Amino acid sequence: MRLKLFRYNPEDREQRYDIFEIESRPGMSVLAALFDVQKKHDDSLAFRYSCRGAVCGTCAMLINKVPRLACRTQVAKLLDGSLEMDLAPYPALEVDIDWNPEEEVLVEPLPHLPLIRDLVVDMEPFFAFYRAVRPVFKPEGEAPARERLMDRDAVSALEAYTNCILCGACFGACPVDAKNPDYYGPAALAKLYRFHIDPREAGDGSRLELANTPEGWWACEFHTNCMRVCPKRVPPNIAIGKARRELSEQGREPER
Amino acid sequence: MAGRAEAAVHRHDMVVIGAGLSGLRAAIELSDAGLDTTVISKVLPLRSHSVAAQGGINASLGNVAGEDGAMDSWEAHAYDTVKGSDYLADQDAVEVMCREAPRTVIELEHMGTVFSRLENGYIAQRPFGGAMFPRTCYAADRTGHNILNTLYEQALDREIRFYEEYYTTALVRDGGRCTGCTAIELLTGRVHGFAAKAVLLATGGFGRLYSRSTNALINTGDGVALALCAGVPLKDMEFIQFHPTTLFGTNILITEGARGEGGRLYNSNNERFMERYAPHSLDLAPRDVVARAIEEEIAAGRGFEGGYVYLDLTHLGADHIRARLPGIRQIAMDFAGIDPITDPIPVQPGQHYSMGGIDVNNRGETRLPGLYAAGECACSSVHGANRLGGNSLLETVAFGKLVARAIVQNTQGLPAPATDAVRSRAASEQERIDVLLGRKTGENLFAIMDDLKDTMFEYFGIFRDERHMKEGISRLERLQERFERVHVKNKSRVFNQALIRLLELEDMLLLAAVLAQSALRRRESRGSHTRTDFPARDDEHFLAHTLAHLRDSAIDLEYEPVRLGMFEPTEREY
Ligand SMILES: Cc1cc2nc3c(=O)[nH]c(=O)nc-3n(C[C@H](O)[C@H](O)[C@H](O)COP(=O)(O)OP(=O)(O)OC[C@H]3O[C@@H](n4cnc5c(N)ncnc54)[C@H](O)[C@@H]3O)c2cc1C
Ligand code: SF4
Ligand code: FES
Repeated sequence: MRLKLFRYNPEDREQRYDIFEIESRPGMSVLAALFDVQKKHDDSLAFRYSCRGAVCGTCAMLINKVPRLACRTQVAKLLDGSLEMDLAPYPALEVDIDWNPEEEVLVEPLPHLPLIRDLVVDMEPFFAFYRAVRPVFKPEGEAPARERLMDRDAVSALEAYTNCILCGACFGACPVDAKNPDYYGPAALAKLYRFHIDPREAGDGSRLELANTPEGWWACEFHTNCMRVCPKRVPPNIAIGKARRELSEQGREPER
Repeated sequence: MAGRAEAAVHRHDMVVIGAGLSGLRAAIELSDAGLDTTVISKVLPLRSHSVAAQGGINASLGNVAGEDGAMDSWEAHAYDTVKGSDYLADQDAVEVMCREAPRTVIELEHMGTVFSRLENGYIAQRPFGGAMFPRTCYAADRTGHNILNTLYEQALDREIRFYEEYYTTALVRDGGRCTGCTAIELLTGRVHGFAAKAVLLATGGFGRLYSRSTNALINTGDGVALALCAGVPLKDMEFIQFHPTTLFGTNILITEGARGEGGRLYNSNNERFMERYAPHSLDLAPRDVVARAIEEEIAAGRGFEGGYVYLDLTHLGADHIRARLPGIRQIAMDFAGIDPITDPIPVQPGQHYSMGGIDVNNRGETRLPGLYAAGECACSSVHGANRLGGNSLLETVAFGKLVARAIVQNTQGLPAPATDAVRSRAASEQERIDVLLGRKTGENLFAIMDDLKDTMFEYFGIFRDERHMKEGISRLERLQERFERVHVKNKSRVFNQALIRLLELEDMLLLAAVLAQSALRRRESRGSHTRTDFPARDDEHFLAHTLAHLRDSAIDLEYEPVRLGMFEPTEREY
């Protein structure tokens, strides 16, 4: 099989696509294929990795025009078409390149973030939005001697959002992030919502205020690309919808 | 490289190297004590290996009663830990950790970690191998992920300064103290100097010395090698834990929690073979026992083609698997194309944990003033010859905090260190790297690395003996010779990962040599160290820690007695 890789050299700012012939093995992931390139063909190929087990969120890239974790994506499944996914369109998906999905796997950097080198992008804008929602637990009242008690159902509801590994796939899949660089993006909003619904906090709705702006909750257009690409099945669109309903019901919508 | 600007030197009270659980917990405590603290990490903090921990963290909260209604206690936890360690753990260190455990977990809960709960709302606890009580607190099977996120959130809230994607290349010694370190910034390829009153190593383990490993690809043991090169001895490096159940193919961990929840092991004859190896605790016997059992089954031809056995969860039912082991199910589906609700999971043993590491005392102090270590890179020793599941997360968080407290005390009134030594070391490190990059031809880096990993698994794996190990050592020597001529083609400064891998390989070769020598000299079997030529434990000669020094580039071994006190060594039976 062949890997068609986006290359970017920051030293001369050249962008191009390189093709590498790879011997595919059963169960081979895109990440493993990238390592093969680095080992056997070109040790200058840059890409991030850490856990290789879909838990650390390091390796999100645009693979066959869908943001995915390279370590979790099987080459064979890409070639046989079983991983195809329909996404609401945005510019990065439309770049016209010559590529045969039956024989080639196309790997490009995660969209909507500045390029550093090859498949490595600067995640700082993504994390800046994350920090902007002030993601830290602020419990109500004095700490008890033991744990605060929690209902199992509340824990399950929270887990839908605490499962986020901050990989940025949703950020790279969001048509709104594509056109509005000030939009917080799905992951940051989902994170904010996680704290909003934590029953150990005061629950006075003040958290929601942090994104109660045209660039926050209200920028979402519900394309739902975020939920579709999320490797952890986090539903940012649902968090956003619920937050908006809550704000509207309380007459707290910002003026636009 | 004429006309290069002088290396940047950053000054802080404290430098923490590593942003996993131990590094972050320490940084929080240091920052709360008013020290200007910075954290250096070769990956973004949330990408640290700690994120992968699944099963849980031990603490004798006593939220779930034992079999006969008895209540858990720190003493019971300590007993299990010492017995599990095959009596090589230092019992005063174990006491410190087990006493601290309940507070540690409660503190994490207070910081926001969403632990799984019992019906009554208290933190849920499940049984884990080698424990008398259900003691392991968990957040579904994503415990490390949840705790790491909590600690990162807390660290950000304190505005701790992170140097992310900086690879530490050396520790700086000045006037008999550690006064800082040097690190290469991946983005620019430039070496920076960091001057501090003290340095804490929290760099994690070195599982990637082995071809089959559950560890993140970045676990190359850099910090352990840094300490050795700075003149600090390494302790018990021969003790490597092999996890019995790693997914055939990628060796991704299938948590012991899967057996805690009732999963059973079967060989190709459809026998529950653990009945023969551990009649009482069966599939939940300690890891070393189960890993050896599986290897023996495979060696005896009772494994499946390719070398694995089955871990069966199907009898637990779909609902139970979905609720309690969702992460495991996902892993099996994504990486082996198997749904554990309907099919057994193919598993084989793989390297999992490094018990040994940088020699420290109970306060995390190394023998070099100003240098501390905590977490998996350190060896205090709480795990001895074999770590119990759930004790490592505990160690990272508990000692992260305690070591930070020791640092606060020790650095009180210390003046800011002079920066000259750091500056000149940064310059010489830059030169060293320029020379490495300047090599035009030579040995292939990746070929050496793969050979190293295979050699380690084959000659220093689950079963060891003198003849094989000697052969392994001569292979390692040849690899070291090849490494002297290693080169990378990539000469770029920006995000040169080949260069980082080269620096990692240098450390890995050093650690492999120490591990090999330590394993060869320990002529007994204890915990994870199984010598087929010396099958018995030998307390008369080896109830002792191995200490490895680097003296004039040669490895020098000595032994130090284990600190007993609470429990007398007896034979381990499960
Ligand atoms: C798959 C898996 C599951 C596990 N599950 C459990 C469990 O359920 N319960 C349990 O108790 N234990 C478990 N463990 C063990 C436990 O996760 C680890 O021992 C623990 O997380 C180690 O944490 P740490 O803080 O010491 O290091 P790590 O989390 O490994 O962090 C190391 C840090 O050091 C940095 N670093 C390393 N080298 C350099 C360098 N040269 N320069 C700069 N920075 C550097 C890295 O960037 C990283 O931030 C598990 C281990 C594995 C492999
Ligand atoms: S919500 Fe999903 S896709 Fe978005 S960052 Fe989190 S894990 Fe990644
Ligand atoms: S390498 Fe960790 S998610 Fe892919």
